[in-house]
Amino acid sequence: MTDLRGGGSLPADSTLAVHPALGGRETDWHALVRTHGSPLLVLDCDIIRRQYRKLAQALPDVSLYYAIKALPNRAVIATLAEEGCGFDIATNGEVAMLEQLFIEPRRTIHTHPIKRDLDIRTALRYGCTTFVVDNVDELEKFIPYRHRVALLVRVSFPNPSARVDLSRKFGCAADDVPALLKEADALGIHVKGLSFHVGSQVADAGMHVYAIRRCTELLRLPRPDAVAPMSVIDIGGGFPVNYDGSIEDIDAFCAPIRTALAELPSNVRVLAEPGRYIAAPAMTCVTSVVGRARRGERMWYYLDDGVYNSFSGQIYDHTRYPLIALDAQGESRPSVLAGPTCDSIDVIAEDILIGEMQIGDLIVAPMMGAYTAATATTFNSLPRARVLTLAAPASLDVDDSNVVRLA
Amino acid sequence: MARNEFAETLYDSYGQRFAIDEVCFESRTEVQHLLIFHNAKFGRVMALDGVVQTTQRDEFYYHEMLAHVPLFAHGQPRRVLIIGGGDGGLLREVVKHRSVEHVTKVEIDAAVVEMAKTWFPDHSRGAFDDPRFHLVIADGAEFVRTTEDPWDVIMIDSTDPIGPGEVLFSNDFYRQCQRILAPGGIMVTQNGVPFMQLDEVRKSARAFRDLFADWHFYGVAVPTYIGGMMTLGWATEDAGLRQLPLEVLEERFASAEIDTRYYTPAIHRGAFALPRFVEEAIGK
Repeated sequence: MTDLRGGGSLPADSTLAVHPALGGRETDWHALVRTHGSPLLVLDCDIIRRQYRKLAQALPDVSLYYAIKALPNRAVIATLAEEGCGFDIATNGEVAMLEQLFIEPRRTIHTHPIKRDLDIRTALRYGCTTFVVDNVDELEKFIPYRHRVALLVRVSFPNPSARVDLSRKFGCAADDVPALLKEADALGIHVKGLSFHVGSQVADAGMHVYAIRRCTELLRLPRPDAVAPMSVIDIGGGFPVNYDGSIEDIDAFCAPIRTALAELPSNVRVLAEPGRYIAAPAMTCVTSVVGRARRGERMWYYLDDGVYNSFSGQIYDHTRYPLIALDAQGESRPSVLAGPTCDSIDVIAEDILIGEMQIGDLIVAPMMGAYTAATATTFNSLPRARVLTLAAPASLDVDDSNVVRLA
Repeated sequence: MARNEFAETLYDSYGQRFAIDEVCFESRTEVQHLLIFHNAKFGRVMALDGVVQTTQRDEFYYHEMLAHVPLFAHGQPRRVLIIGGGDGGLLREVVKHRSVEHVTKVEIDAAVVEMAKTWFPDHSRGAFDDPRFHLVIADGAEFVRTTEDPWDVIMIDSTDPIGPGEVLFSNDFYRQCQRILAPGGIMVTQNGVPFMQLDEVRKSARAFRDLFADWHFYGVAVPTYIGGMMTLGWATEDAGLRQLPLEVLEERFASAEIDTRYYTPAIHRGAFALPRFVEEAIGK
């Protein structure tokens, strides 16, 4: 059973004003809901800035490319662009977002290992010239564009300990890389480096270190017919956040990575593609109790947000988020929090211990920035949660009706 | 975010940058991104999908060479067909020739012509109002497939081979151009910078070889088409037309009384001399 903080009036150790995931900002959730309705996703761009700066500091000399897929949001992109961050794009829709925000295409890399010709052309016409391949068929798609592009070969390093293992679906086995490079050299296609993804939300940097070392060996292999020597290594993402709301020690996590990177040949430039690390802490979900029922021993609370909407990450991203029952009163007892759709899978939490809640009471869920809104559906014709943006960059025009400027 | 710099994105490992004094015009549609800005060195610059198409100050290199080389080689060009070239720079050079009685320019997008009149008036310098000029808003590939009129000179002023101009590099398109060339007619094409994109000239050479009795390429080094000399394609049934003696060209140039800034008869003669690596690529 999960014991929820907030089983009653707010306990002293988890007051929202100091909740680390909320960036220390005082937020009156009830007032927000009164003004803007429910459910809400409250995005705090100051947390985007904080996360970017912390990772940039933990990985000096590494160029960060935000993985847009985690939270494809205009304010996030504009904030990161101001910070000097680059962008990792994977689809034409993501290209369109960057185009609309005038993001300099030289600051982008296209990292989808499998692309249609149209995807390559769309990215090229935008001005992105770095692409990722992991097999010969994909390599051959670049023959018509070989004079314009440079490629990264994605190497697979299977990692069963990652929450999301990204080396099963994509990646060339390390032992097969030399043959693929040889093929590229024969075709006159410039492979400028290697990339890998050890997975998302990994427990420690062991696999990063292993992958960097293996890539370093591959980078040093002699390639007499190469168009140019390899000069880039993209270490992907995987940088973890703490879903219990405590602040992660990213510097300690990255220390072994820094040591491994120090062994790279001096001509090699290092890239990374953080998504979750930057986005996850920046958004908080606020959802309201819209119905309640006693079923057997348990109280069931029906909320206006669920696993088909903002909590979709519970399904697709295998993630559970901290839940704060803001208004619960009295003795904690086993309860169920269910989403608003008709589907019985739409349950956010079972057997959690909370006090009694009334219709209109609020549940606040921090750490809901990554792979939440990004994968939300409109099943049952229910609209997605409205996104409110705090501390948005001044340069962003507020023409999007889903962005409300609060500060 | 205000932009004060334009970085061309034609190549991954190499590129040119322009300081932007002022953004003059910008439009983004589903199919293309057009940007016109002012740069201290090049004046107005037009970029399409991140690639420089033309600039106010260096356009004469390209337009004079694409126009005057076939027109003076032909000797008596009366009917000229321009495919593309929306900015009007090529047209401006063509209408300088008194022998020309008729110019049709086929442009896929009417807005391009209006945009050029507004932002690049020096490119056309009134040529759009010349009584010999006819504007056809159509797909160039479709036009050459359906027209039955004979043309003395066909000029293909295409954009990059990625995008809407791509059909203007196809074998079928060249075949149709060959079909509608008048006897003694000449087709010229934009063919890229061989140092950067040797495949383009190689591919065109393969297409020309099967279709034309005489074909070759000639060079011009346009400052903003970076990477050295660019090649212009040359295709005709009359092998004598690119072997004309310098005296003949000088006589034609003098009697035409045309002011040029790049073109001279000596450059015309010399432009057909290609670097050895380009000769090899085109199988000569």
